[in-house]
Amino acid sequence: MSEHGLPPKSSIKRWLVTTNHKDIGILYILTSLFFLIFGGTLALLIRLQLWTSGEFILSGSAFGQAVTAHGLVMVFFFLSPFAFGFANYIVPLQIGADDLAFPRLNALSYWLYLFAGLLFLISFFQGGSLEAGWTMYAPLNLPTYMPNPGASTVVGALLMFVASVTVSTINFVVTIHQMKADGLSLWNLPMFTWSILLTVWMMLIAFAALGAALLILGADHVLDTVYFTEVEGGSLLWAHLFWFFGHPEVYIVFFPALGVMLETFQTFTGRRLIGRKWVILAMILVTLQSFLVWMHHMFLTTINLEIKTLMMAMTIGISLPFDLIVFAMIYTLIKGRIRWTTPFLFNFGALVLFIIGGITGVFLGAIVLDYEFRGTYWVVAHFHYVMVAGGTALFGGLYYWWPKITGKMYDEYLGKMHFGAYFVGFNLLYFAMFMSWEMPRRVFTYHTGFEAYNQMATIGGFILGASFLIMFYNFYQSWYRGPVADGNPWEYSRTAEWATDSPPPLENWEGIPNYEKGFLEFVDRPEGLTDGGHGEDHHDRHPDHASIWPLTISLTTFIGLAGLMLWGEHIVYNTLFIVGLFATLVAAVGFAREDFYAPMPDWGARWPFEGIHKNKFGMWIFLASDIVIFGAFIGAYIFIRWGYGWEAWQTIPPEALPGLVNTFVLLTSSFTVILALVYAQRGNQKGLVASLIATFGLATLFLVIKSWEWNYLLPEAETLPEATIALFTFDWDPLIGTEGPALDASIQHSTYYVTTGLHAIHILIGMIALGYLAIRAYHGAYLDDEQPVENVGLYWHFVDIAWVFLFPLFYIL
Amino acid sequence: MASIKFYFAIYVALLLLAVSKVVFMELLDYWAAVGGIMLSAAVKTGLIAGFYQHLVDEPRAVTWVVLMAVAAVLLLASAATFSIT
Amino acid sequence: MRWASDRLAQVGEFVVPLSHAPGDEWRTQASVFEEIYFIFLALGTAVGIVVIGYMLYNGWKYSASKGTTELDDPPVLGELPRGEGGGKKLFLSFGISAVIVITLIVWSYSALIYAEQGPEEFEDNMVVEVEGYTFGWDFIYENGETSTNTLVVPEDHVVTLEVTSRDVWHTFGVTELRIKADSIPGQTATTWFIADEQGIYLAECFELCGAGHSFMEADVIVVSEETFEEMYDEFTETGSFPDPPDDLEER
Repeated sequence: MSEHGLPPKSSIKRWLVTTNHKDIGILYILTSLFFLIFGGTLALLIRLQLWTSGEFILSGSAFGQAVTAHGLVMVFFFLSPFAFGFANYIVPLQIGADDLAFPRLNALSYWLYLFAGLLFLISFFQGGSLEAGWTMYAPLNLPTYMPNPGASTVVGALLMFVASVTVSTINFVVTIHQMKADGLSLWNLPMFTWSILLTVWMMLIAFAALGAALLILGADHVLDTVYFTEVEGGSLLWAHLFWFFGHPEVYIVFFPALGVMLETFQTFTGRRLIGRKWVILAMILVTLQSFLVWMHHMFLTTINLEIKTLMMAMTIGISLPFDLIVFAMIYTLIKGRIRWTTPFLFNFGALVLFIIGGITGVFLGAIVLDYEFRGTYWVVAHFHYVMVAGGTALFGGLYYWWPKITGKMYDEYLGKMHFGAYFVGFNLLYFAMFMSWEMPRRVFTYHTGFEAYNQMATIGGFILGASFLIMFYNFYQSWYRGPVADGNPWEYSRTAEWATDSPPPLENWEGIPNYEKGFLEFVDRPEGLTDGGHGEDHHDRHPDHASIWPLTISLTTFIGLAGLMLWGEHIVYNTLFIVGLFATLVAAVGFAREDFYAPMPDWGARWPFEGIHKNKFGMWIFLASDIVIFGAFIGAYIFIRWGYGWEAWQTIPPEALPGLVNTFVLLTSSFTVILALVYAQRGNQKGLVASLIATFGLATLFLVIKSWEWNYLLPEAETLPEATIALFTFDWDPLIGTEGPALDASIQHSTYYVTTGLHAIHILIGMIALGYLAIRAYHGAYLDDEQPVENVGLYWHFVDIAWVFLFPLFYIL
Repeated sequence: MASIKFYFAIYVALLLLAVSKVVFMELLDYWAAVGGIMLSAAVKTGLIAGFYQHLVDEPRAVTWVVLMAVAAVLLLASAATFSIT
Repeated sequence: MRWASDRLAQVGEFVVPLSHAPGDEWRTQASVFEEIYFIFLALGTAVGIVVIGYMLYNGWKYSASKGTTELDDPPVLGELPRGEGGGKKLFLSFGISAVIVITLIVWSYSALIYAEQGPEEFEDNMVVEVEGYTFGWDFIYENGETSTNTLVVPEDHVVTLEVTSRDVWHTFGVTELRIKADSIPGQTATTWFIADEQGIYLAECFELCGAGHSFMEADVIVVSEETFEEMYDEFTETGSFPDPPDDLEER
């Protein structure tokens, strides 16, 4: 039976077009488990190599690639997506929603993630992947020092992953703030939903910073700019950008696991959380503090003592809220009726492991100790105790929600066996690393004194790996032969996901969930859904659940990025890029034109984000992340220029005048785009179309002036037509010749071209959107619904604001 | 939603502020000019964000989200730069 | 246990580090590290055992299979999420753990100041520039000569290292002497050490720097003051150190 245009679950087509949050959740979980097996296999290879102290099965280069891929795959492609599989499936159920706010964007997040993972895998077949560690320290992350072509592809894959996370972030922020059941306030959200909410707020800032770092790294790879080879601080610049993202990332990975622990501790003890509001406040505090400790990863670098001291104090500061959270969980045990089921075993175990990880982390917080632990197995052991403790809780979550997702019970005995093997293997593996802490990280041969510990770790690693065979066997049995689970298989569960069938129907609930009376009730659905009073005329329309565009956009982006990252290596790559770019444009237009109905509940949007339409709210969240991207570019410029000597720095444009003229052009375009909005509101079609075309024209003028200025970029191509011919015949030598002020001529050139280039790309994207609006407006659109005009306008003004800062920084000062 | 006249007034103010940047550079010594230019950029941003992007009309929390992002990048740029001085 | 009692004896020594006058009372980085590490390890283990023990005890005591506890006011499906009381106990444990953590870190901070400031108060400390490259170490002495992959220093003498890199990011570290510094292109990190026992120590790279990272090692040869002077003279003349005495122990 087809469910509102969605093919049945047995059909492959359903899984390609579905936008339903539960389907996407399942896709996330399955894909992440695939990457767990991939990353785990790499880990076992590493452990095998370290079985003896000498050379064994891997070469130094292969080992470096294995270590790098293991880290990146486990952190980016397993842990976070695994957690977001649950977030997708469970969060809408916990808050009483039918789906996420932007179902198609949710599907887009998933497909971008999958194709990012595939791009990563491809890198191994391009003559070697990245081998710079998951931290990708500069300048080893550049072709000059590590010429594997696949390394550039990895940068592209990570960029694509960042795009996936950004889309997902927007979706979850809007969903959790605007789709809660009536009577469910922010404060009353279940703990897992709280943990996801705080996770996505951290993601919003942190992943934008990573996005900026990767864009710059990508420029260094593809355009030969010299950011990270700049001796006046290129390496440190990468470290700052990476760890500004990297430290919050630890909590981004750990918080969802913490959410699972907080849920299961309550369910399986039959007790509510002790000090609930303090736990929530502690988590909010961690969210904020996570951005204030990043330099504790850089204690041994040349940063000054003052900032080290400050970061040390902040690091102590961030351990304290965690103390509180841990004690709250422990006290929740007291006076409970603890049922030692598999999910609880995993979560109890996770807490034990996290405590060990936390205590060993305090060692690293003391700078004097950190000086010695830096780069050793102490660090490796510590963060595995923390991160894999998170993984442990998530595996508990998989057992906890398995009956909800599949409608089948798993076998408890096998589950406990899994836990036993897992816990023993885990501690053999990682505790041995504490004992061999004097050994440097990421070496593939070592001194014989450490052999016993390494063999212990290897044995532990294989036990840990083998324990998953039990898990997969258990789930396989359960799926085909397991007893049927009803809607609520766990005694003392409280949250709303257990108040519907297992698995829930397509739109989750028979009635509409409502907490007005202080407990969950279901009120009848009115005839014909309301749409939240957002002015859309769809009153008797049923929500859509299928779209082919998310998959299409991801596929075309994948093709384009695969080509772009190795541009110039071979004509195949150049072709792929151009094909991918145009196909992505077509797909984006297809996505925009599709009439997809995803209604919002009337009552969902409450403090502090009430009274703003989900699209506009989503646009603002996106702009916040774009602020961080531009801000990080500007920050990188300031950092590099400061290291270089601020006033010794030469600005690239010889004249400020073209920049000033462009400032006027952009300000005028900001005025015309606001005129478009006014005319749309007044129903004046002529005015609307004219303002949009004027804005488009001004944007074109901006780019013309820009490219005239950019002539410096084309040292050997005398004229623009010549340059264009060079571009399309894939003969880039005249463009980036070694002589003349090209991109790679100096760090001044690099920062100027890359930062203003990022801005120019923003202008181009804006022009595509403006052109699209103008054509649709010409055919009569937007007169009764000016929203798209307003939202594109928001973006356009932001591009203007960015220039407000770029102009003085790159032209005058 | 405001009138075209109002938006035009904002536009004129923005143009004047843009010119002020170049003027500061001519009149003031270097670091004073830096301060003046950044101040005028901040005022421009406030005008655009507040009135063209209508932040003044949105729930206050949206402004806080934007400020949070700005604070994050200011923190990154200033702390990183300070660390190498 | 010998190790532990030695460490305990050391703890008393570390009072106000800045009051140490230069000379014999200067402590090596290694002994400072050992002492702080020992205290952290002892306290960390104790706290870990108490907290995890308490968890396990409660897990056992309130296990449903024992059937002893009756829940008063058990949670029900669909209730508005809320918490349970018990905040006082929570804050007490939180307070205790906060005091332990803050005390430890603040106490260790005085050692940091010591480690950071150490060598500047000496007049005759020896300065060696260390330049990392893929995959080896150059040691540039005050005489301008470069020694590759061999650092020779006199015992009981403060040596200042100024560490940088020629290509990618490395980290220079000698585990047995407890010294370490990042070797970053364009940056110079400074550290110092006193080797109080003769022998051959191993310097390694602690930051992944490419396929040869595992092999990026150097010898740190600590010899007596007199031997050093002989070796250094020959080094100044010929540009390379002579072989060290045969009886040096590998450490």
